[in-house]
Amino acid sequence: MKGLLEHVGVEPGRLHFSWISSAEATKFVDVANTVAKEVKALGPARYFIKKRAEVA
Amino acid sequence: MLRYTEKIQETAKRLLQEKRVDAFIGYGKGSVPMMNQPLMVSDPDRVDRLYWDNFCGLNLCNYLTKRTDKVGIVANGCNSRNIVTHIIENQIKRDQLYIVGIPCEGMIDHRAVMRAVKQKEILDIQQNGKTFVVKGADFEETFEKEKFLQSNCAVCIHRNPVIYDELLGDLVEEQTGVSPYQDVEKVEAMDPEKKQGFFTRLISRCIRCYACRNACPLCYCPTCFVDESRPQWVGKSSDPTDTLTFHFLRAYHCAGRCTDCGACERVCPMGISMRQFTKKLNKDCQELFSWEAGLTLDQRPPLDVYRPDDYNDFIK
Amino acid sequence: MTERVYTKEEWIRGLEGLREDYTLFVPVKDGDFHAFMPMNGEKVPDFDFQNTRLSPKSVIYPRSERLFEYILGNADPEANILKESSKDFSPRAIVGIRPCDAQAFQIVRRNFDNPEYRDPWWVRHFESTTLVGLGCNEPCSTCFCTAVGGGPFHEDGLDALVFDLGERYLIKGLTDKGEAFLAKMNGGKPADEAVLKAAEDLTASASQKITSSPPTDPLKGKKINDLFNAPFWEEVAFGCLNCGTCTYLCPTCWCFDVQDEVLGKEGDRIRNWDSCMFPLFTLHGSGHNPRDKKVQRVRQRFMHKLKYYVDKYDNGVQCSGCGRCVRYCPVNIDIRDVCERMNNY
Repeated sequence: MKGLLEHVGVEPGRLHFSWISSAEATKFVDVANTVAKEVKALGPARYFIKKRAEVA
Repeated sequence: MLRYTEKIQETAKRLLQEKRVDAFIGYGKGSVPMMNQPLMVSDPDRVDRLYWDNFCGLNLCNYLTKRTDKVGIVANGCNSRNIVTHIIENQIKRDQLYIVGIPCEGMIDHRAVMRAVKQKEILDIQQNGKTFVVKGADFEETFEKEKFLQSNCAVCIHRNPVIYDELLGDLVEEQTGVSPYQDVEKVEAMDPEKKQGFFTRLISRCIRCYACRNACPLCYCPTCFVDESRPQWVGKSSDPTDTLTFHFLRAYHCAGRCTDCGACERVCPMGISMRQFTKKLNKDCQELFSWEAGLTLDQRPPLDVYRPDDYNDFIK
Repeated sequence: MTERVYTKEEWIRGLEGLREDYTLFVPVKDGDFHAFMPMNGEKVPDFDFQNTRLSPKSVIYPRSERLFEYILGNADPEANILKESSKDFSPRAIVGIRPCDAQAFQIVRRNFDNPEYRDPWWVRHFESTTLVGLGCNEPCSTCFCTAVGGGPFHEDGLDALVFDLGERYLIKGLTDKGEAFLAKMNGGKPADEAVLKAAEDLTASASQKITSSPPTDPLKGKKINDLFNAPFWEEVAFGCLNCGTCTYLCPTCWCFDVQDEVLGKEGDRIRNWDSCMFPLFTLHGSGHNPRDKKVQRVRQRFMHKLKYYVDKYDNGVQCSGCGRCVRYCPVNIDIRDVCERMNNY
């Protein structure tokens, strides 16, 4: 999924996968921070985002 | 390739007469050049309609899904791999099938032929082994088959059927040294912006006729995600994002199952290379799971099973 | 009736000059095939083509078209009211449309513009469009326009007709719209006897080149129930993939589906082409589907074109013989063959 999404042009760093147990509170915080930081660095997503239909 | 026609007819006749099968599925000669018709024969006296040539690029496994009778079917390499996939996915049982294997030397790309004659109308094609002669109202040209193979056939390494009850000819030598993923690698090397442009252009002509989906033997869901309205996963208009979503998800549903038979591209009325999506998945399956779909009945596909050593570098 | 002759260069210059008055849709080479596109500085017309892959029906009846828009909410007094989307109904011309595709608009018109129903968008687009046809010097082997009341130089449904005479074009005005188009076009000179004779010969020789002619007259006398219950449908439908290639490429298929798309508080009501080949086409809200099986859908397509339409409008079949479905059906279901079967049943 990640491979194909990035293949069609979604920037690496926009999609993250992580396995966090309910007991791993610190890991959750770390991952959330990393995701937020990386996605912020990429700026708003414009590609593959449905906006108002582009039709005649 | 033409030499198989008679053999297919004889075999079908025998199978139907001996009541080994209730019906036989193959191809019939089309009414226009380079187009053949999927055909089902159940009357042994009508087997003369069966036909085989270099334009049997449509995948016949479509017509096996959820059948309950005994069926004979012709199968070259890729078709046989889809039969395996169908059996693994419980779409048909092995003992319902009588598979008539055909070693294949590739199908001719009708679009490439049209390009070679500058889109002039072709009235007749004569196929003679390694060459074929194309005739129109005011031209006649001879081409080498080798140079006009469908792009999936040109890089195919499973020309011989992988499963069969009977073989109609000597096994052919498999191609070696082909690099099937050159086009995928080219895209992989692009930066995201270039990739976006590439795929946006690739699907820009799509009219959402769903021929690619419907020609694919893997697409047998009772209701396709694009047809669902609760929830509505994807819009139905010609909006480019919706169209990309359709192609992306259609491809993803084929992950680890696609045999690169090329039926999707062959049927597209707009000439879109949608194999650019599925080939990436095939490449990933090959690299991450050493998997090619439809080669064996004895192994579950990678997306079906969990193994502790599965690739998981993407999980942080 | 105006009859003028243009050299090919003059013709292109003349069209360039018309761009102020019309949005011109012309055949443009787009990869392997031709498509009708608006003529602008970048898109150059190429009249050396057999026919476009997609019919020009989308110029008048787009694949997806926004009909209404609305906002949702309670505070705004304008909310929850459907408002018609603004559209451009300024003059357009389809230049190079084949006579079969022009005749197709007449067929579709019986559905969209009749005393009972008038589709406001289709009608306004149609009325603002001038159809400048280009006769077919070399019809394809899959063409059967002459069997369905047309011909390679058929004039019905066209506003003007162009004859390709090698070095020159002869253009004939056929309606007021066509005359207005010609009046605005620069260049050219009046046609002389020799040119008119050449055009006549061309028309005759082109008609003779049509090789397919499934008879369509017997269809009217057949009983609907007999055809409906005929045994050949299973065989015809076996290979069908139920894709929309035939219906979307067809110049006379008019069915559509209306969808609402809401994003936040803003919504659009969009009409999209639909296809009787899709199971969803007839799926009821209850879950029941009267055309649940492939064979029922395939039968519907042919019965509609070759029988229901015939009986309803008493004006021929719902097919203009362009042959697109014959050439591009991925499984080679050939309407000429089906027509023969229906005739002979």
